[in-house]
Amino acid sequence: MIKDITIGQFFPGDSLIHKLDARAKIVVLLLFIVALFTCRNFFSLGLLFLMSIISVLISKISFSVVLKGLKAIIFLVCFTAVLQIFYNDSGEILWKPFSDKDFAITTGGVFSALFITIRIVSLILSSSLLTYTTSPTMLTEAIERLLSPLTYLKVNVHSLSMMMTIALRFIPTLIEEINIIMSAQKARGADLETGSLMQRAKALVPIFVPLFVSSFRRAYELAFAMECRCYTGAGKRTRMKKMQFALRDYLMLVFIIILTASVIYLSYFAQSTLFIFEKVI
Amino acid sequence: MAVLEVKNISFGYSHGTPFEITALKNVSFSLEKGELVGVIGHTGSGKSTLMQMLNSLLKPESGEILLDGKNINADKKSVKEARHKVGLCFQYPEYQLFEETCFKDISFGPKNMGLSEEEIRQRVYTAAEIVGLQKELLDKSPFDLSGGQKRRCAIAGVIAMLPEVLILDEPTAGLDPVGRAGVLEMIDNYRRQTGATVIIVTHSMDIVASIADRILVMNKGELAFNGSVSDIFTHSRELVRMGLDVPVATKIMLALRNKGLEISSDIYTLEDAAKELCFFLAKEGKI
Repeated sequence: MIKDITIGQFFPGDSLIHKLDARAKIVVLLLFIVALFTCRNFFSLGLLFLMSIISVLISKISFSVVLKGLKAIIFLVCFTAVLQIFYNDSGEILWKPFSDKDFAITTGGVFSALFITIRIVSLILSSSLLTYTTSPTMLTEAIERLLSPLTYLKVNVHSLSMMMTIALRFIPTLIEEINIIMSAQKARGADLETGSLMQRAKALVPIFVPLFVSSFRRAYELAFAMECRCYTGAGKRTRMKKMQFALRDYLMLVFIIILTASVIYLSYFAQSTLFIFEKVI
Repeated sequence: MAVLEVKNISFGYSHGTPFEITALKNVSFSLEKGELVGVIGHTGSGKSTLMQMLNSLLKPESGEILLDGKNINADKKSVKEARHKVGLCFQYPEYQLFEETCFKDISFGPKNMGLSEEEIRQRVYTAAEIVGLQKELLDKSPFDLSGGQKRRCAIAGVIAMLPEVLILDEPTAGLDPVGRAGVLEMIDNYRRQTGATVIIVTHSMDIVASIADRILVMNKGELAFNGSVSDIFTHSRELVRMGLDVPVATKIMLALRNKGLEISSDIYTLEDAAKELCFFLAKEGKI
């Protein structure tokens, strides 16, 4: 079950998306999400969905990995889709299960369920693509750089990003540790898969106690090791590899700004065009 | 009759990702009752994967494993039986301690086997005695023990299940020489008291040379050699190529022989080396 978690994993590669500057990628993703949530018609949503699919293709991340990541949110998607079907009662009535009640499934409901499904899937595709194609160190450095204006507000951006780096760095280590502990306790006859909810919760004690103990041990060791190398977090630090914007990063930014702007325009200011969601129905 | 039979098993990790690894290729061997078998191999040679197959923590992609003649992966019941009969003690087992007292921690395995209170108590005391853990320590928290005692307590947790086959992955890693000798002694104790089969996975050639009846050498997921101690170390050159070593005693004897001394180099333990050298010196009339 634990090895199915692919969100947050990094898959090395040298595609165009891998090569983009991490800061550009974060900004592009943020604007893309803004576009996703402001768009109100199937035309722009379809365009955005197509874009996330194309980006996955360009990144050369295998589809099985991407699908695995999507599998984790399938419940959420189905849940919201079903809610949408019941909560939207615009459009024509498709099916009225109880003739004496007002309740009915309408075209509006079905369309908005479809709409929200495509929206969530595009959101997950695009945001998981960021972590799939960006190494954790690049990611935290980019966040540090993007947040650096906050230092003027006396926010310790460097410490924040160091904490993030360390947290990200230890995710695979902890997953490996959980796997070993689980195997070891299973080898002693622990049953983790069957039993009532209460029994299963109890079965986690032999896993989590050793995990916490070793996490604390690791934290101490890491802190000592960092102090031994005179790490304080204060002072100006320089970088071995400087992040540098290339032409492709600028082009990408210009592209996403135009895209987001046009999506917002289509959704809010061009009400009379054909593309409006309600009109399509 | 063989206690455990491994027939043509293969296994790989992370299929369909860039990290795909073939961990085991067509491995076969069998273990007799009461044998002490050493498994050696370079890091990543597939030893640990192989050990996790033997109690069905991992299931082979092809091939089968027979415990007392029955396939351990046949159904849920046989998997459970394999977990009880094949005790697997992971590397650094002290990192898996979790209970409030050593007694409770050691009784975790027997409790999972569904034994009676009285039987569990008996087994905890037996296991503690075999590993040399003093009775008064049993009521202490395992986290208050010293490193060596923690290791003993953790191994006792596996021994308390009285497995027919006891597998220990690097049981002496990170211990000082006294601790190392202690662990090897308790493994021997367990084998003598119960007649169980023991497998020790290790990097240390000296350990396998001194206690193992038979050695399995793993290399890149394949079983490279399977034979007695003297058989294995005659292949010293191949071992070195696999990133392995020969025992210190053998190295010394080989070096002396290269200097022109007329001594045997089929020596694998320091005791035998000492004997051989005394014999040689006596022959030369030096002592």
